[in-house]
Amino acid sequence: MTSAERHPLFVATGTEQVPDRPALVGGRCTCGHVFFPMQTYGCEKCGRYGGHLETTPLAGRGRLIAFAQVHLHARPEPKVPFTVVAVALDDGPIIRALLNPPVDPELRHGDVMVAEIVSVPREVGTRPTLRLTRNATGGR
Amino acid sequence: MARHLSSLRPVYVVGVGWHRYQPPSETPYVALGLKAVRDALADARLEWPAVESTYVATARLGMACGRPMLRHLGALGRPLVHIENASASGSAAFRLACTEVAAGLSDVVLAVGVDKVSDRLRASSQIGLQSLTGSAIVPATHYALLMSEYAQRHKVRPEDIALVAVKNHRNGARNENAQRRKERTLEEVLGGKRVSGTLTSLQCTPIGEGAAAVIVASEDGVKRYGIDASRTIRVVASAANSEMVGHDENRDAAITQAAMAAAFAEAQIAPSDLDVVELHDAFTIEEIEYAEATGICQPGRFIPMLEEGAFDIGGKCAISPSGGLIAMGHPIGPTGLGQIGEITLQLRGEAGARQQPHARTGLAHMVGVGAVCYVHILQRV
Repeated sequence: MTSAERHPLFVATGTEQVPDRPALVGGRCTCGHVFFPMQTYGCEKCGRYGGHLETTPLAGRGRLIAFAQVHLHARPEPKVPFTVVAVALDDGPIIRALLNPPVDPELRHGDVMVAEIVSVPREVGTRPTLRLTRNATGGR
Repeated sequence: MARHLSSLRPVYVVGVGWHRYQPPSETPYVALGLKAVRDALADARLEWPAVESTYVATARLGMACGRPMLRHLGALGRPLVHIENASASGSAAFRLACTEVAAGLSDVVLAVGVDKVSDRLRASSQIGLQSLTGSAIVPATHYALLMSEYAQRHKVRPEDIALVAVKNHRNGARNENAQRRKERTLEEVLGGKRVSGTLTSLQCTPIGEGAAAVIVASEDGVKRYGIDASRTIRVVASAANSEMVGHDENRDAAITQAAMAAAFAEAQIAPSDLDVVELHDAFTIEEIEYAEATGICQPGRFIPMLEEGAFDIGGKCAISPSGGLIAMGHPIGPTGLGQIGEITLQLRGEAGARQQPHARTGLAHMVGVGAVCYVHILQRV
């Protein structure tokens, strides 16, 4: 990812706790509420907005709480089968993302999941996107 | 101090009607809506000029669909307004119609839901924020994820959850207004097309169109028009809410729990008092999650009780006797009003082959994407 293509949802640089995985671009309100993705419209907890909301990197690691392999999908992308996961990030928010690889028969509830940046095709060239993958080295 | 609906003027459901829910067709929405309204008027034995005000529930028809439909009943200059609240549009229209009567602004009010299939965009795709999943998560996948979590938490199998669909298809087969009118075995439900996660197509609401209409009236309205009081059904609670911070993963069950609790407090009844319930069962897992959130059964107890027949017609509390969204269908705008119609038939004892015996108290529940939730409790007086 070049700086010109800086993605609003993630950065290649990891956090102190999980330095080897890309971080998600979350937000933190002065009230303490942590959320994803970053926005300045207003805090869902207290209603403060604008400068009260600051970007905070969220570690690209969490626990798998749910997953679903999609068999039927009306749009051409993503191609079926693909898997959607719900992951409780170590840093708090629950996020949903696509799984890499698209199907993983070994996936189990409670697995440690980590973020990775992959290139997906677009009309011209490719674009980077964030996927979650089972941490091959991590336990359950 | 704000007050409950039930502490204002009493409100009664006096007429209900439908245009059958059905797969997309060439029939214009005007014909669908007029059929439902005329049936509701006939059911109440009312003429159109009695209706002082109309709420039109629709999520997919676009701007200003009401007048081009209602004019064919006689253009009498009465107020009308359109209500869009996603899947709960019809429930929202019903609540507003009840509020207008309860407040004393009108004595007879119509709520009519009508919709046809369209590919109109949801506002959530236009909020100006990106997401990691874009359009990859459709409703079936949202609920497949909740199903994955529930199955893990309570150690249930896909074939256990699919039993909800077997029950609701059996009920829908007895409902002339249902889109799906065929009994299905567990094998048929499980053997259908796989959609997302462990959801199969017969565990998902079908895409369709239709209409439903409900007329509500005050005591003055009932007297003025000589409406048969023995067929009127009182609205004893109306609760509504929307998503709360901190329930990221299962927001629908969280708001259901809160709205149910508010409705029970207003009606001064307990979940065990319910004889008949219509839930937002667009996907099998929803009926389970919402019944447990309601307190009809303890968390994790739904499936054993379902297997014992507790939620069948004739059981302790009939759930989705209409066939629910899975079998009756979910044309969106009409759905919440169709639920009120079903509960009304049940409490009158007019539900025919799908009558829950001795039904006195019923509840209708809808959620809409966003999320919003509505709960209404009705009682035979």
